[in-house]
Amino acid sequence: MDDKLSFFKDGIRLDGRRPGELRPVKIEAGVLERADGSCYIEMGGNKVIAAVYGPREVHPRHLQKVTRAIVRYRYNMASFSVEERKRPGPDRRSHEVSKVSREALEPVILTHYFPRSVIDVFVEVLQADAGTRTAGINAASVALADAGVPMKSLVSSCAAGKVDGQIILDPMKDEDNFGEGDMPLAMTPDGEVTLLQADGRFTVEEMREAMETARKGCEQIYEIQKKALIDRYSRLEDPKEEGSGV
Amino acid sequence: MSNNVMSEIRKDYLYHLVMNNERADGRSFDQYREISLETGVIKKADGSARVRLGNTQVLVGVKIQPGEPYSDSPDRGVIITNAELVPLASPNFEPGPPNEHGIELARLVDRGVRESKSIDLDALCITPGQKVWILFIDIHILDDCGNIMDASSLGAIAALMTAKVPAEQYGLGEDWPLPVRDIPVATTVVEFGGVLMSDPDTDEETAADTKLTVITTADGSVCGMQKRGPGPLSMDNIYRIVDISCEKAKEIREKFLDV
Amino acid sequence: MDRIDRRVVIPGELLAEDPKKAGEGTYVKDDKVYSQLYGLVNHRDKISVIPLAGKYVPSVGDTVIGIVGDITVSNWIVDINSPYEGLLHISEYPKRIERDEMAKYLRISSSIMVRVKDVDSTKKVELTLNDRRLGTLNTGRVVEISYTRVPRVIGKGGSMISMLKKELNCNMFVGQNGRIWVNGSDEDMDLVLKTILIIEKKAHTTGLTDRIMDFLRTEKEARS
Repeated sequence: MDDKLSFFKDGIRLDGRRPGELRPVKIEAGVLERADGSCYIEMGGNKVIAAVYGPREVHPRHLQKVTRAIVRYRYNMASFSVEERKRPGPDRRSHEVSKVSREALEPVILTHYFPRSVIDVFVEVLQADAGTRTAGINAASVALADAGVPMKSLVSSCAAGKVDGQIILDPMKDEDNFGEGDMPLAMTPDGEVTLLQADGRFTVEEMREAMETARKGCEQIYEIQKKALIDRYSRLEDPKEEGSGV
Repeated sequence: MSNNVMSEIRKDYLYHLVMNNERADGRSFDQYREISLETGVIKKADGSARVRLGNTQVLVGVKIQPGEPYSDSPDRGVIITNAELVPLASPNFEPGPPNEHGIELARLVDRGVRESKSIDLDALCITPGQKVWILFIDIHILDDCGNIMDASSLGAIAALMTAKVPAEQYGLGEDWPLPVRDIPVATTVVEFGGVLMSDPDTDEETAADTKLTVITTADGSVCGMQKRGPGPLSMDNIYRIVDISCEKAKEIREKFLDV
Repeated sequence: MDRIDRRVVIPGELLAEDPKKAGEGTYVKDDKVYSQLYGLVNHRDKISVIPLAGKYVPSVGDTVIGIVGDITVSNWIVDINSPYEGLLHISEYPKRIERDEMAKYLRISSSIMVRVKDVDSTKKVELTLNDRRLGTLNTGRVVEISYTRVPRVIGKGGSMISMLKKELNCNMFVGQNGRIWVNGSDEDMDLVLKTILIIEKKAHTTGLTDRIMDFLRTEKEARS
């Protein structure tokens, strides 16, 4: 980042976006047969799939909670998802991402309906392009709804970043790698923050601006998540599609 | 860590206290427990610090050894941070590889050091592409009476600030003090019963279930943040916590890390 | 009056401003009613949300089809297509039997029609076989669908199931847990199972009964 490369040209980012603009987001609900709920998301170059199993029995049994369901979240990167092959299996980063992502969803899941059970969320990153954890949370949230899990609301997530001293929405790879800060955030539609991380360097004013910026991104993503679930229903409803003659 | 079961009576009691603007140990909401910091406590380490935060005790040791650089940064030193939540420190800790709490703790301490750019990694190059100094920051929790995060972060920067690069031992010239350019300080606040409390003890951590750790640099910038725990936080409370954290970090920095 | 307004909602969607309207599948926050499910809105006296997916949670009085999974000292452990297994105590068997002969009466893998006798707050589920209408299913076939589709297989006032029984000359039982037992000639059972899977898939379409009727007629004509 020392080779004074600029992230803007005439106020436009290197991938053609304005500072407050998201990368294209595509969400499809109900993409897997075996899972109880599932969702596929593309956020920029990220391709992420989420599956939900449960509520189901907990193994091992000592993990059971008698008053509520436990939630498990496994974030995993495919070894081919990144430039240089990633060693398969969880590393420290993915343990941490799993933990904060689970905590991003736990506030909305009505776990008390399912004592002694587990709700398993599996997130596989098939292609990574900065922002995989936020993409994963967006997909997981839709997959939970698709599985029929009772929730207070969906959760939407995206990051804000700082490049050339300016706050931007949804950093792409270069902005993330060579920028001055990254702040992933997740929130409910009524503005409760359920995930907040930051690294880099932000003044207090910049931090506030970044949060506001990320919030606007979350609001847009929420609409796309909602549409994905409604579209899934019309797919179920459209008799032409499955050609059973009925 | 806050995975122990708390009786309802105890939780009610804490609520009751909050309603009366009190905390169990008599502190005000933004008041830290007494902090004491000793550096150079482990002679075998190249830098070390023992932190007491109330009854919480943490020992941080820094070892500096020559080794291979990462292929994507061949002329820069390496920082590796690890935390051991050893069973001696709490009935909730179990032996075995670090669990997610230990990993999160280590990664947050690491983030503070790294993102504040307090260590000049370029200065830790010995032979570009072949040999660099590797900094191992090892956090050993001795007694978890709450908020091991802030204690660990303080211990880490204090250990780094007093560390010497053991060049002589490896035939690389004279020992020299590790240059530290910034002083990141982590402060943690929980929201409980509608109020914000700094430096939670074990009970407060358990009752509150959600906390926000903010790491700030000497100039009052935020270089790391993490919401921890399964509850939400409002944006207003996040802003308030950041303001509290800046102030508390400044106090801690001035009192214990003044160079 | 039962009115499904067929509007699909997602968790967190505002349904009503009057907290007294809160029905199944909703929650109240700040005196407003929100959906807690992905499903269809149903307006009656109250507003409820009918889930499009989810797991069966047993409640007392439900009749379900279970599969014996294990036998302990005094209980049969029964899979009831739910996150929770059911316990059938030896004393809930319709006649007095000895512990060492439990496996003789209900083997592992037996299918049984049982009733949920009790569910405690931790979802410990007790079952009973002690009713003439309950018992072991030794013939016929069992098919499994999502429990959320059970009301459609039964139909309004039992209309769908009566039609299926009549048209196809089969004996049928629909468990609340989404398991359905069918008994009849092989040919008829094939058609019933096929029809049930169609109902499951098309559960939320309009004019379902009529369309199923047409389907059965066409299939039966093709047969003869």
